[in-house]
Amino acid sequence: MLQSQRRAVVITGVGVVNAAVVGASPALGAWLRQPAPAPRSPAGGARPAVRLPEATLAGLIDPSEGRRLARVCQLTIAAGRFAVAESGVDPASGLGLVVGSELGDFTSTIAFADGYLAKGPAGLSALLFPNTVMNTMAATTAIAVASRELSLTINVPTVAGELAVARAAAAVAGGRVDAVLAGGVDELDPLVAEMLDALGDDGVRGEGATFLVLEAETVARARGATILGRISGAAWRSMPARPWGVGRRVASRAIEEALSRAGRDAPGWLYLSASGDAPRDAWESRVVAAALGARRAPAAALGGLLGHHAGLGALQVAAAAWTARTGLLPERGGGPPERVGGCGLVHGLGRGGGHVAVIVEAE
Amino acid sequence: MRGVLVTGLGAVSPFGAGTKAYWAGLAAGACAIRPLTVVDPAGFRCRIAAEVPEIAGGSARRSRADRLALGAAVEALDDAGLGADERAGAALVVGAVGGGMLEAESWYWARSRGEHAPGWAASLRSMLPAAHAETLAHRLALGGPRHTVVTACSSGAVALAEAAELIADGVVDCAVAGGVDAVTRLCFMGFNALKLLDPEPCRPFDRDRRGMSIGEGAAFVVLEAADHARARGARAYAELAGYGMTTDAYHVTAPQPEGEGMARAMRVALAAAGVTPADVGYVNAHGTATPQNDRIEARAIAQVFGAGRLLVSSNKSMIGHTMAAAGSLEAVATILSLTHETVPPTANLVTPDPEVDFDCVPRVAREAAFEHAISNSFGFGGQNVTLLFRRA
Repeated sequence: MLQSQRRAVVITGVGVVNAAVVGASPALGAWLRQPAPAPRSPAGGARPAVRLPEATLAGLIDPSEGRRLARVCQLTIAAGRFAVAESGVDPASGLGLVVGSELGDFTSTIAFADGYLAKGPAGLSALLFPNTVMNTMAATTAIAVASRELSLTINVPTVAGELAVARAAAAVAGGRVDAVLAGGVDELDPLVAEMLDALGDDGVRGEGATFLVLEAETVARARGATILGRISGAAWRSMPARPWGVGRRVASRAIEEALSRAGRDAPGWLYLSASGDAPRDAWESRVVAAALGARRAPAAALGGLLGHHAGLGALQVAAAAWTARTGLLPERGGGPPERVGGCGLVHGLGRGGGHVAVIVEAE
Repeated sequence: MRGVLVTGLGAVSPFGAGTKAYWAGLAAGACAIRPLTVVDPAGFRCRIAAEVPEIAGGSARRSRADRLALGAAVEALDDAGLGADERAGAALVVGAVGGGMLEAESWYWARSRGEHAPGWAASLRSMLPAAHAETLAHRLALGGPRHTVVTACSSGAVALAEAAELIADGVVDCAVAGGVDAVTRLCFMGFNALKLLDPEPCRPFDRDRRGMSIGEGAAFVVLEAADHARARGARAYAELAGYGMTTDAYHVTAPQPEGEGMARAMRVALAAAGVTPADVGYVNAHGTATPQNDRIEARAIAQVFGAGRLLVSSNKSMIGHTMAAAGSLEAVATILSLTHETVPPTANLVTPDPEVDFDCVPRVAREAAFEHAISNSFGFGGQNVTLLFRRA
């Protein structure tokens, strides 16, 4: 009964800022037709990672604005503005904000601590301190895009971007807000890379931001918005695992519940959160196999190309909308895109056991 | 939409472990703000905080914040009497900011001196805010939807609103929700850098207030769908009848001067609960004791409720500002004020600020019966949350 009262949720805007894609949904679509691995460079830690060139970001944020913003906030704002502009949504009519991040602004946090360690209390920066709180990206982006409804920052390993989109979709579907800017962001920091090495996370690392504008379909259509895709079901659960660990259990209701909300029996294709973190990727494969069994469908995963970061999950939702529109599933071992049909499942399974499933369909 | 009842309470506060100790301290108007011991305050103008005197929550190998969270969550679950099956499907929403940063700081401080700190891998693993939820879910076998919200000082209140939404939407029947933060070097140093700390215990709503005092703690509640709670014969403390979440979109650290976002959060909560301002008898204020914030909050309350009539008090005068835990600790206090028909006082309030046109319950608790009470929480980034509780 409750499901029938929920509103349909559509995607009306996409913004991406990473080493391979910068722009709105046309830029993402162009890359998805021939997805090439983004170049890797030293980024601290044991392995090269996918870094966004500084010149790219500098071209997206006005210097006078950039001086007041941490780099990770600049990433968030740049991607958010792309999404809001493509959507054409009027923030004054009520725009929420959900930001997923795994690491927040560690660069500023380290700089703040270093100030004290170098000079004692006199070395502390009052300007840096607010950035040590993980909602700093949401705070600055809310100001930049005039988002004045609910604002959430969601922290979870590996699946922060997917979870932010799922949570935002629930807020729109439940009627709490008509439109939400939702996505994920992370940046690379050398010390963080060193720490992740120590924790055994050996996936391909990246950085960037991807944000989507999600709207109630009735509201979007009433204002004549272009519909890029539909989120017809979303659910999140948790799997038993130690903090930052990989679990053994494979049974979870997230996929079934998302499919049920979408009124679907099985996905026609999948986007997985696999990114080269071998134990976690293997666990994800087992969980998906247990949930879908014979209903297993062709799968893509973009983490190895773009490097894992919290924006990736949101990017895969946007990519799934592109696949639903075009019928093309990219990144099939370097070959041409595969023709697919039906709905898509964007799947995320994180270290620590966060589990997210989002069903995406064409308009 | 289903009604959402509070059926379990748990708190670890500067008054000690347990909800009883917490309420006893609040009702007595005791001030738990004392010399700081968890981190070295040498060289700082402020050297006090409200620390938790004894930490339960199991192994000392866990972060201090994880142990605070475990102590409160275990109490809430036991209080609600949830069985294993119910726990397996229960949602978990945690409001957090500092995570296990206290231990990670020890590692980083040692690293900066070229030393090797023992246990560093464990401290890194538990450093992020999400670590508390992973620890709680793993230890307490909570298998439903799980997420960690970071909205600065309103995180704990947001956690309750998020969990209530999952129940109201029919995703789960019950949820464990709350906030936690331990004192950390970064937090203590940061608020010193912002010059927002009073060297003496804070005095919310006092004309001569000079800033806040930091604190630490955790509070968790069990929220349950009304039909589910009644079916199993659970005791209900109160109904979480409404909540409002808004954003100022004004400044990263300063609230919007007219309190527009704060007032909007209160109005949204009233509308969600279907009550009028006249139905509310008590506001558990955010009440940080900074000159600016108290004045703006009072202005916002007056916009919504009118000046004068309400009882308004701040728990922070007794337990300090417990950061991500503040919203949930103050929610528990608000619930207990309904059940005990007593409003906890604003300690240290000697000379009421003439710009705060409310009875702020100076120093001594007040007997008062009312049907509805609200708890305000506001965070950096203009993140405003109001929770509205109704007597069960």
